[in-house]
Amino acid sequence: MKDFAFPGRLRRTARTLVAAMVPRWDDFDKDITEEVLDEVEGLIRQMPLFNQVGLSLMLTGLEFAGGPLTMDGVRPLSSLDHDRAVERIERLADHPIPQVRMLPMLLGTLISFSAYSREDVEAHMGLPRRAWRRDRRRLRDTLVQLDAGKRAAGQPAPPTPTPLGGEPHTTPETYLLFEGERAATAGADTRAEAG
Amino acid sequence: MRARTIIEPHHSRGDLFLTCDVVVVGSGAGGATVAATLAEAGHDVIVLEEGGHYTTEEYTANIPEMFGKILRDGGATVTFGRSPVPYLEAKCVGGTTVVNGGMCWRTPEKVLDEWGERGLDGLAAKRLDRHFSEVEETINARHQDPGSHGGVNDRFYEGATKLGWQLSRNRRNQVHCVGSNDCVTGCPSGAKQSTLYSWLPRFWAAGGRLHTHMRVQKILTRGGRATGVSGTLLDPYKKRRFTVRARAVVVSCGAVQTPLLLQRNKIGRDCGHVGQHFTIHPNVKVAALFDEPVDSLRGTHQAFQCTEFIDEGILLAPGAIPLAFMTALFPIFGQQLAEKLRRDHRYIATGGVLVDDFAEGYIKTLPFGIPLVRYDVTDVDQGKFIRAAARLAELYFAAGAREVYTAFHHHAVIESPDDIKKLYAHPPRVEDTEYFTAHLMGTCRMSADPKAGVVDPDGQLWDLPGLYLADASIMPGTIGVNPQVTIMALAHLVAERLSDRLGAGIGAHRVAMGRTRPASSASAA
Repeated sequence: MKDFAFPGRLRRTARTLVAAMVPRWDDFDKDITEEVLDEVEGLIRQMPLFNQVGLSLMLTGLEFAGGPLTMDGVRPLSSLDHDRAVERIERLADHPIPQVRMLPMLLGTLISFSAYSREDVEAHMGLPRRAWRRDRRRLRDTLVQLDAGKRAAGQPAPPTPTPLGGEPHTTPETYLLFEGERAATAGADTRAEAG
Repeated sequence: MRARTIIEPHHSRGDLFLTCDVVVVGSGAGGATVAATLAEAGHDVIVLEEGGHYTTEEYTANIPEMFGKILRDGGATVTFGRSPVPYLEAKCVGGTTVVNGGMCWRTPEKVLDEWGERGLDGLAAKRLDRHFSEVEETINARHQDPGSHGGVNDRFYEGATKLGWQLSRNRRNQVHCVGSNDCVTGCPSGAKQSTLYSWLPRFWAAGGRLHTHMRVQKILTRGGRATGVSGTLLDPYKKRRFTVRARAVVVSCGAVQTPLLLQRNKIGRDCGHVGQHFTIHPNVKVAALFDEPVDSLRGTHQAFQCTEFIDEGILLAPGAIPLAFMTALFPIFGQQLAEKLRRDHRYIATGGVLVDDFAEGYIKTLPFGIPLVRYDVTDVDQGKFIRAAARLAELYFAAGAREVYTAFHHHAVIESPDDIKKLYAHPPRVEDTEYFTAHLMGTCRMSADPKAGVVDPDGQLWDLPGLYLADASIMPGTIGVNPQVTIMALAHLVAERLSDRLGAGIGAHRVAMGRTRPASSASAA
């Protein structure tokens, strides 16, 4: 179904599950539950009907069977407060029956992939993945241009692995650094040589 | 005006009726190789791809968005069995070569010898050598640039070296990989030489046409021969159909989709092998926490493999992954997971163990066309997994790890080298282990005897002349290494033999094109 969306009650269960699984820190005051839930729905929309039905059944199982399976009463998951819900989900993830463990783990993967690839979450963790990707693209473009320059100058195409050449971007020592870090390293090298 | 080479639904109107010499279904490792080889030999070739065409600029850092775009079923593909095994299957132009780690290993000679003993003389190492060389040249299978490894690979190297274990430096299909470590959502720097950057440009340069969003449903036959395909054009605005008539049909949909397509068309049923002999070269993750940062964000996905235990069917490997995938290492959630990852993510090195599987699963089509992909990890293979994980833990401790994380439920953390013994004392069950794979093969295997497999040594179906297969499904058995190069080499062999049959000598054409490699009209026959 290209227009898949969790129906009423199932959406409440899904929201409880997402709220329990999204990253939370004391100094991160943003609640990303709704946005992650939308993203998870979007991902499920790409799946065939068979998977969509399967995931809906899993959620229903978590909602109603989670309590009895963990000897945690009969209250549905969506009626628990946040801490109790987290506790139940963790007990399910550590359940002695492997098939029961699978329920929160599989759904958790969908949620974590969405939550932990967000720019704000990555930034809060000090992980500038988007900036890193842009930086890598620029660095590689530079390397490819250097190769083209060598070829144009009649030099043989460099083998790989290649002496990287072309300061300040391409020495093995600075290869994995950000642009700013490379400039700083190059500056330090120059000062060391001058000194 | 030059004809369009990539044709998307909005470039045409109404139902489509096309004709060509060869229609190739799929544009991944097998399909793109066949298509380019045949097009360069002067044949009129059309490639039909179910997914869309995405360029490097369109690969974003948003993982769910990319999964929805380039993976089949948004990445929710999983085998059923004692323990479910998630597997990776792409659905885009370039196929799984867009999302794989880019490892380039030739089929081990011992495996090729074994295939030779089964009567498949054409697959002998000496005869395949030419095909391997052509593939490696085209996809630029090379070692990494110095400096591009990153901490995850360096720690692995350090541990193996300290233990004196044999290491192999990976060749990968890349030009200046700069350690973006986002292979699985499409290389963001354009370094990986997927078929989008290797075989397909050759195909387009030779005049080939590629149609996107074409879901093939029917293989057309006439007089006991395959004569084309038909199906649905995935146009979001209108229900449309297409028919392609051709002198030969090549199916390259991968080890899962190819048998499903044959089964839905009731082709190859007599031999009893379509969808059988499914091997998956499964792996389980092992990770380690270090005192010094390893910075998984920075560096290439996998620069080495430890081949010390290859005779036991075990490969150990590092595998740098993006943060979002690291969440699957720990059975905790919410604040607890968030705190753990914020504190430790820079110090965690990820890796895995791959096992040459003894088990065979199967693929079936259930009523209403629902696919059943079944695979049970055997206790024999589980024994290998336990030994392999124990050795990788040993390697990480030798490199200075503080603790090691495994995919075994009751042994999630190994806190010291002494703790490794617990894996043997209380061996984890298959049901308590999380597996993963991207190496699916063998479901329409090649055989020298019509009763023993689905395709003949030329890649043509024993049961239906004119229909060829060229992908991982035709592998006669498991190979124990990353399969990309093997798939391409077999596809290249199939293409040359098909070209010979179609009557335009591939060698003669190469000479005409000014290529220097000797003619190959005899192929490996």
